[in-house]
Amino acid sequence: MANEKKLFRETRVYPIIFMLIITAIFIGILATFYQFSFAKVQKYRKTQLKKMVMGVFEIPTQNIENDFPRYITIRKMEDLIYYEYRQDSILMGYCFPISGSGLWGTIHALLAVTRDFGKIINIEIVDQNETPGLGGRITESWFKDQFKGKILIDDNILNNFMLISENEIAKDNEIKQITGATASSKALVDMIYEDVKKYNLKLRADL
Amino acid sequence: MKKKEIFITSAFTQNSVWRQILGICSALAVTNLMLNSLVMGLGVIFTLALSGFTISLIREYIPKRIRMMVQTLIIASYVIIVDLFLKTFYPEISKSLGPYVGLIITNCIIMGRAEAFAGKNSPVDSVIDGIGAGMGYTLVLLIIASVRELFGFGSLFGIPILGDWWTKWSIMVMAPSAFFMLAILIWIINTPRQKRG
Repeated sequence: MANEKKLFRETRVYPIIFMLIITAIFIGILATFYQFSFAKVQKYRKTQLKKMVMGVFEIPTQNIENDFPRYITIRKMEDLIYYEYRQDSILMGYCFPISGSGLWGTIHALLAVTRDFGKIINIEIVDQNETPGLGGRITESWFKDQFKGKILIDDNILNNFMLISENEIAKDNEIKQITGATASSKALVDMIYEDVKKYNLKLRADL
Repeated sequence: MKKKEIFITSAFTQNSVWRQILGICSALAVTNLMLNSLVMGLGVIFTLALSGFTISLIREYIPKRIRMMVQTLIIASYVIIVDLFLKTFYPEISKSLGPYVGLIITNCIIMGRAEAFAGKNSPVDSVIDGIGAGMGYTLVLLIIASVRELFGFGSLFGIPILGDWWTKWSIMVMAPSAFFMLAILIWIINTPRQKRG
């Protein structure tokens, strides 16, 4: 018996059969783990997104699951999923994902604008891989807060923000850039410009 | 070899990072924060221990010619389990570690231990060896991270230590400083040995 087994292990098919069996076993284990975690991960992602959309419109909330559908309508247009913010059924503004290439990778953000695209309500960084401590500071609130209330489209002309250094005083169309992270600061300003240009005529309510 | 001896050998005397210069890519990548380093270290300990155990358990049956494939498959499976675990229970940490958890698969220490130890020794010894090597690796990560986080962010484990007067050293946050720190660490640890020898 032992002899027979040894013979089989020396055959050419043995490695193939061995590999097939072990692959099947481990895929089985992983599939079980994945099944278990999938629902939880999805739920977490959804709640995170909801929190972010609510946060970007600055809607105070105690219960995200109740409040989200009350204020926010999820819309879809072609590939774009965007959000409408209504207060007492009056359309207040839009929120849509914007993205652009940063220094190390794509920066994803959510931009909230008024219904006529006249002003930026707020911006929130969803995902970025900029240098921690330098470009990574685009997630810091002093930097993001600069965009609040900035005029975006005035008289049908799309505003392109100018970057100035951190210790100057910013005028209406100026944004203080992060010292040592010009590329990351510029990336954010550029992606706002490019994506607003792309979406504003499609989404605007007053047209 | 005694169990204690196995542990000390793989954790200190033959430490994968400062003696064998393995696994340094990840040692460089995640060490700007203590917490990330700790989680990364725990992930590596888990993967090393369990992949060592599994490979050792079936070492008699693994065909020699395809043993690398089998090892990679087993290691990858455990790494994916770590990744899923973090994604499910610690999504914040998972996000801040980014792709590096998945890249534990390519950590040479794990393959190295599988080849050098688990393929030749009993399952229990392999677990001890894995934990030892993993802890040795984690130790290096934490030493480098403590310096980088302290100088780069003025904090340790996210708790502010140095206060506002401290000018943060941006270089400590970026990858190059990890090279300096690792080189200094290896230098300090290996100098007395060379003098003795």
